[in-house]
Amino acid sequence: MNTNSQSTYPLPQPTSFTKAFWDACQDKVLTVYACNDCGHLFLPGGPVCPQCWSSGLVSQPVSGRGTVYSFVIYQRTYHPAIPAPYVVALIALEEGPRLISNIINCASGNIVIDMPVRVMFETEDGFMLPRFEPFNPDQRNEG
Amino acid sequence: MTNNAVIAGIGHTDFGKLPERTAFGLQAEAARRAIEDAGLIPGDVDGLITDPGPAQGILDGITPHYLALGQYLGLDPAYVGSDILGGTSSVAIIQRAMLAIEAGLCSVCLCVYGDSALSTPGSYSYGRGDDAAFGLFGAVGMHALAAQRHRHKWGTRPEQLAEVALAARAHAAQTPHAQNKRPLTLDGYMAAKYIVEPLRAPDCCLMSDGAAAVVVTAADRTADLRQPPTRILGHGQASSLSTWASPDHFDTLPAARCGPQALARAGLTPDGIDLVMLYDCFTIVVLMQLEDYGFCKKGEAGAFVEGGRIGPSGSLPVNTSGGLLAEGYGGGMMHVIEAIRQLRGTADKRQIKDAETALISGHGLGMNTHATLVLGKSG
Repeated sequence: MNTNSQSTYPLPQPTSFTKAFWDACQDKVLTVYACNDCGHLFLPGGPVCPQCWSSGLVSQPVSGRGTVYSFVIYQRTYHPAIPAPYVVALIALEEGPRLISNIINCASGNIVIDMPVRVMFETEDGFMLPRFEPFNPDQRNEG
Repeated sequence: MTNNAVIAGIGHTDFGKLPERTAFGLQAEAARRAIEDAGLIPGDVDGLITDPGPAQGILDGITPHYLALGQYLGLDPAYVGSDILGGTSSVAIIQRAMLAIEAGLCSVCLCVYGDSALSTPGSYSYGRGDDAAFGLFGAVGMHALAAQRHRHKWGTRPEQLAEVALAARAHAAQTPHAQNKRPLTLDGYMAAKYIVEPLRAPDCCLMSDGAAAVVVTAADRTADLRQPPTRILGHGQASSLSTWASPDHFDTLPAARCGPQALARAGLTPDGIDLVMLYDCFTIVVLMQLEDYGFCKKGEAGAFVEGGRIGPSGSLPVNTSGGLLAEGYGGGMMHVIEAIRQLRGTADKRQIKDAETALISGHGLGMNTHATLVLGKSG
């Protein structure tokens, strides 16, 4: 029953608010938005800083390290291009902002909340998406 | 009496798969039944507020839902609107009707929920914006994230989530119009497949075709009503729109803010509530609300519901008609209607003896919105 439009991967649709984030992902760089006035770091992008409402925003690279804030395992397929099972997680970046992503390179039974993860990038239909994999924080200062 | 708005009439359709019915046809039936129940006529209606369900309030790109329904119903009201707070909307529109009546903007306000979600595939399986790229679909994913945190922080076990699902089915078994009256056992729950782990199929509410409506009126016109008016003792509303940027978005619901507000307006504490009707799109939300409304301590809801406590013979029956999990998806309006039936003493086999006060909640979207009503028996 899959039509072409249904089986096309549901890629992000960058807007003027989110373009800087997705553009950086295409270069395999994870960024957040930073407020020039109050210093607040946030995701996703918007018209103003959600803390002080300043419109002086810049895109800023981050470490790509974080922890699993929560995660779930989809056992039902909702989109033909994303077959179950797969893991969706809310990642808390070391710098503070949180984002929805996937956890890969890890058996779902081994995922726990607060587990350290780091970003890696994978292509879907030619579009680079940031995903996360387990990370040993002892390696933090090695490179 | 400080509140001068009351609920005078209730009405609803069947719930289930009704493919031959349109959402508007269902809404019109619920409206007609509610007006009849109140002892009023369509010409008395001077306020119309709607909860349009997943249609999200706008039809054909421009027509607001209340306009389409109002045109079909031939109404020329003084005050109109549609609220799009997700599952919070039914409670929120009653709150709004009450405020409009107390401000003198109208005196007979029809509040209508209705949808044909079961016969409209995909209406609840939407992708969440760009997060669909990571497979985040439906409300179930957001609630599973909360369930996982509850399990992690408080040690909540699947058997405790099951208590909520089992209680809903047991209540529904005593509800003639319930959509799912099939008994559910703990073994049956544990054997059920996961939808989005840690939530299994019985953790997720039904989808339904159906509609429900209530009539809110000014207390000073109750002399000509057919039913004893249900008093609105308290109300509150709170939201978390920053979603997961908010520090405790998945751990504490906005109910923790608007619950105490509504109870304080009513001059009550959780101990003084006889009937608890909690929006139950997923079992985890019932546990979180029991905590956030103060029926038990934070983190203790899992243990609190053990032993059938919220079931038909428990000490704190919750959702006595089966709720969204088993009665059918009534948008939250059916929770209000069940509370009113209980307060009128017309809940038949489900009747809770001497029930005088009820707390009803609405909860919506990605755990973003919440509203609370506290209702009281006539007199």
